[in-house]
Amino acid sequence: MLSEIVFHVNGKKIVYTGNPLTRLVDVLREDLGLTGVKEGCGEGECGACSVIKDGKLVTSCIIPVGAVNGSEIYTIEGIRDTEKGKCIIDAFAEGGAVQCGFCIPGMVMATYALLSSNPHPTEMEIRKGISGNICRCTGYDLIVESIKLASEKGGDLWA
Amino acid sequence: MGMTYIPSTLDEALHLRAEKKARPLAGGSDLMVQSKRGIGLAPEFPFDVMIITGLKELKGIRKLDDGSVEIGALSTPAEIADSDLVPWHVRQAASGMGAIALRNSATIGGNIGNASPKGDLPQPLILLDASVVLASIRGERQMLLDDFILGSKKTALGDDEIIKSIVIPDYDFTYLFYRKIGMRKANAISKLSLSVAAVVKDGEIIDFRAASGAAGPRVIRSRDAENLLKGHKTEEIPEIQESFLDSWNNAISPHAMPLYRRNTTRRMLSYFLSAIYSGKAEGIIEEED
Amino acid sequence: MPHTAIDDRIVRVDAVKKARGEAPYVADLNFPDMQYAYMVRSSIPRGTIDSISMPELPDGYWFITYKDIPEEGKNELWMIQKDWKCFAENDVKYVGETIGLLVGPDRNMLRYLLDKIEIKYTEQEAAITIDEGLAVKGGPIVGEDNVLCQLFVEKGRPMDEVFKEADSVFEETIETGFQEHVHLETNGAIITIENGKYTFYASAQCPFYIRKAVAGLLGLQPEDIVVKQTTTGGAFGGKEHFPDVLCGPLLVAEHKIKKPIKLIFDREEDMLYSVKRHPSKTTFRTALDKDGNILGIDGVVVYNCGPYLSGSFVVLQRGVFHANGVYDIPNTHVKGIGIATNTFPSDAFRGFGAPQTLYAVETHLEHIAKRFGFDPAEYKSRYFLKQGGETITNGHVVERVVLPEMMKQVVDASDYFRKAKEYAPGSGKGIGISFYNHGGAFTGNGEQSIIKAHARLVKTGERVRIEVGSTEMGQGFQTTLRKIAAATLEIPIENVDYDNPDTSVVPDSGPTAASRSTMIVGRLIERCAEEMKERWAEGDFAVEKEYEHPEGHPWDQNTFRGDAYLGYGWGCCVVELEVDKLTKEVKVTGIWSSHDIGKAIDELIVHGQVNGGIVQSLGYASMEKMENRKGHFRQSSMSDYVIPTSMEFPKQEWFLVDNPYEWGPFGAKGMGELVFNGADAAYIDALERALGIEIHKIPMPPEDIEEALENAQ
Repeated sequence: MLSEIVFHVNGKKIVYTGNPLTRLVDVLREDLGLTGVKEGCGEGECGACSVIKDGKLVTSCIIPVGAVNGSEIYTIEGIRDTEKGKCIIDAFAEGGAVQCGFCIPGMVMATYALLSSNPHPTEMEIRKGISGNICRCTGYDLIVESIKLASEKGGDLWA
Repeated sequence: MGMTYIPSTLDEALHLRAEKKARPLAGGSDLMVQSKRGIGLAPEFPFDVMIITGLKELKGIRKLDDGSVEIGALSTPAEIADSDLVPWHVRQAASGMGAIALRNSATIGGNIGNASPKGDLPQPLILLDASVVLASIRGERQMLLDDFILGSKKTALGDDEIIKSIVIPDYDFTYLFYRKIGMRKANAISKLSLSVAAVVKDGEIIDFRAASGAAGPRVIRSRDAENLLKGHKTEEIPEIQESFLDSWNNAISPHAMPLYRRNTTRRMLSYFLSAIYSGKAEGIIEEED
Repeated sequence: MPHTAIDDRIVRVDAVKKARGEAPYVADLNFPDMQYAYMVRSSIPRGTIDSISMPELPDGYWFITYKDIPEEGKNELWMIQKDWKCFAENDVKYVGETIGLLVGPDRNMLRYLLDKIEIKYTEQEAAITIDEGLAVKGGPIVGEDNVLCQLFVEKGRPMDEVFKEADSVFEETIETGFQEHVHLETNGAIITIENGKYTFYASAQCPFYIRKAVAGLLGLQPEDIVVKQTTTGGAFGGKEHFPDVLCGPLLVAEHKIKKPIKLIFDREEDMLYSVKRHPSKTTFRTALDKDGNILGIDGVVVYNCGPYLSGSFVVLQRGVFHANGVYDIPNTHVKGIGIATNTFPSDAFRGFGAPQTLYAVETHLEHIAKRFGFDPAEYKSRYFLKQGGETITNGHVVERVVLPEMMKQVVDASDYFRKAKEYAPGSGKGIGISFYNHGGAFTGNGEQSIIKAHARLVKTGERVRIEVGSTEMGQGFQTTLRKIAAATLEIPIENVDYDNPDTSVVPDSGPTAASRSTMIVGRLIERCAEEMKERWAEGDFAVEKEYEHPEGHPWDQNTFRGDAYLGYGWGCCVVELEVDKLTKEVKVTGIWSSHDIGKAIDELIVHGQVNGGIVQSLGYASMEKMENRKGHFRQSSMSDYVIPTSMEFPKQEWFLVDNPYEWGPFGAKGMGELVFNGADAAYIDALERALGIEIHKIPMPPEDIEEALENAQ
């Protein structure tokens, strides 16, 4: 039986002893101050709180912290200064993907997960790859174009 | 408010289940949402809960000696969709379930245990006569999923039991059909779904089965309706089609959008039957433009 | 650094910070000793409060109600009128009406207390739909007949005369539903006291609106209150007046508590208890000659407003002023009625009343065309307004109208005429077209008589700071305005600063609404920059300008006659789609649009607005269904009120036309709402053709298509 929950966030070891049902998003935002993780819906529907858990995209608002024992979690704060993270962020900026910005950190995480497993996705694969991330501003076209741009510009980064 | 436990082994979990009646929480996509209390607050449950996400005993997808496939209860829709071992209908349903992130965290055990009429996985599993393996400190038992799910949000799970795995028998179908109609094209709850499968040999319908999701309080299979087709020649389809469709229509019981759900189900079944009748190439029946 | 030219492709100033997760939204802000607030709301649509039974509040917890408003204050939120109360007193008129604010340091305790509050009501029969409101179900909510606001406009000859000459009369009623904004960031605000002043941090479009709306609660003047806009995660009109509803109770609470208080809606609250787009019911009765030519249109437009006026009369006016669409109809009479009901008050939403009537008139004309065997595009183009043509308000179109050129662009690109002929009605394939416009800025002389916008440029060394009350909410205004300043001053955009407005620092530039920011505030900054450029050598100084209305464009706000708008944005959209024969699911296979926005200040930003506006409009037409049963919204989450994902619609093809506007910066006009105003009608036109039926409402999800087909048989 676990009495404390040990996991890593952006490479840093976290030992959590509070309520295991606390939502991961609250641990990230409130306890760790990682406010780049956004809460848009609180039920895993919008993707704004997306993080990468053990290499896979998940929504941190529906995951209790008790479920991440032994996991490696990466948030936007953990990838934004990596080569891959910068490549995506620059492409988003250059390509006009960002409007109100609230969905964007989650969208960047989804892009990171997509390009890491599929370095040169087709337009349809991109659309599928971000289909769990809701954006109300852009109509998605420029986000899709920006992801193409990140794929092209990143080159070997994604291979 | 209940206690929360994090068992490290299945054995621990089974004891917690037996002694505390603690309910298993795996991916969180159902329980965490149903009991959410807003920003900055942990969900609260009026019963004890155990977070079983880490239990290795409940993971993995494997082929059994008799050719059937066993899917561990903690398998995610993403893992199921990616596995060659899993039958086509189930992979289809798994790949169209919710959003990508959800498919990485939800579990088949949770989807079944939640017993929502709109759940994606029970529908093809019931089509395939899948059974569920239930474990407790008393031992294990296995029952048909169709018997396990009693109604909307109701199952036959004992209060000391945990869903351990799902076993799908090995079938080889001549014709297959799967369709989910969501609220939108991705990241959507099911509005209606249908799986159909048939075995046709020498022009005779040896096996025929269908399962409707989101068309009543639970997944619907009607053996009576299926029997109307079984044993008939495909060339007889035009004569028996209407009585089959009527029988199926009587079996489903959509509460909301009845016209849409009934008509669409009818059109899909009818399309599938026409395809068999017209001697389409064996395999997956897809709608043509 | 090279100086920035207006046509340079630049990177949005806020993009990287937002993408890195570093832009602070209101929920990200924390203050020492912060308290949290939850709203206590009415759970019935109409009735009186008999009693409120409160649990015992621990020390440091507060329940704030109207009783906490000091003697010098009044329990009202000053929007346009002052009818919307800050807190319900004895009566409640809609589900979700604010009764009190529960405040304290611990959210767990607050939730626990919240569940223990028991409110007993005596319920009255509620009016929910437009028809129930008109029928005064349950007795009047306002006045004697529930009419919150009304107006009419007329053009040409008297209607009875026109209808006497008609060979036929075609009448139909077209309805639109609620639409929820679903800005990805929910509503939220924090109040604190800074330098002795009540200070709000708010996700809001209009910081100056908040000041004005809430000051009277404590008997204060607007200047006594400071509002600092926080990075705003989408608004679309949903954060125009509605933040007042959060900030009012917060101010009353702060008056007692004197600690920072944070109020953030979760998604369910934002869905159930926030303003929506007005549902509408438009009846057009059209007099036609034997060849199908329109002699005149008599229209009645009814909007469901909820029980309080908020922005509804202005919304209704805009609806009525757009009820003839882009057409020069010789004789018109259109009456608008804003009806009171017991739903959550309806308010601003991108398009501000225009989308409802534009959808109705487009659909109506398309139905007439089809009934007489004309192609809708060809038929509609006969009636296009032209420069100098008379508008529905007896004013004139000031600008050159280039709709024929725009139509040609989209018709050619989409191969519209070939497909329109080829796809037989009911074949499952359809192509549809729509035309639309949007009057830029406030109606008539509102900019001059009501808003009197100010803008200021401040020069310090080589740097220039923009000081305006206009807000960035995703539409790109911080980039657009910087670009206007930089290009006018011929300096690099990097040397121009423009922070989120703080009402204690910047002048009031009017609300960030009505597609007025680029056109009006942008022009003010252009004028400031022109002067600053001439005086550049003078050292450090500031230039401030006030809006000046062009001469010779009269408007009478009492009779609604004159030049309602000096500059319209114009649009044309084609949508092509296929309906699944088995499931009636719709697959859009092509979207083409052309817009006249005068001049694009930043083409990439405009591109994003076009895409986003069109997808929002297609969502409105297809899937965004918000139902209200007995006063309660049925859709409470993003899984049951669905908005488009990246999979819904294909990549859009889009065009702009160059048609510089005389009084806009670099020739630019408003565009943020325009791009929402027409794709819905093109979608429904295409859908009707694919199905071979007429449709009289939106939205049309597959189950509604099924019913429409059944009813058509």
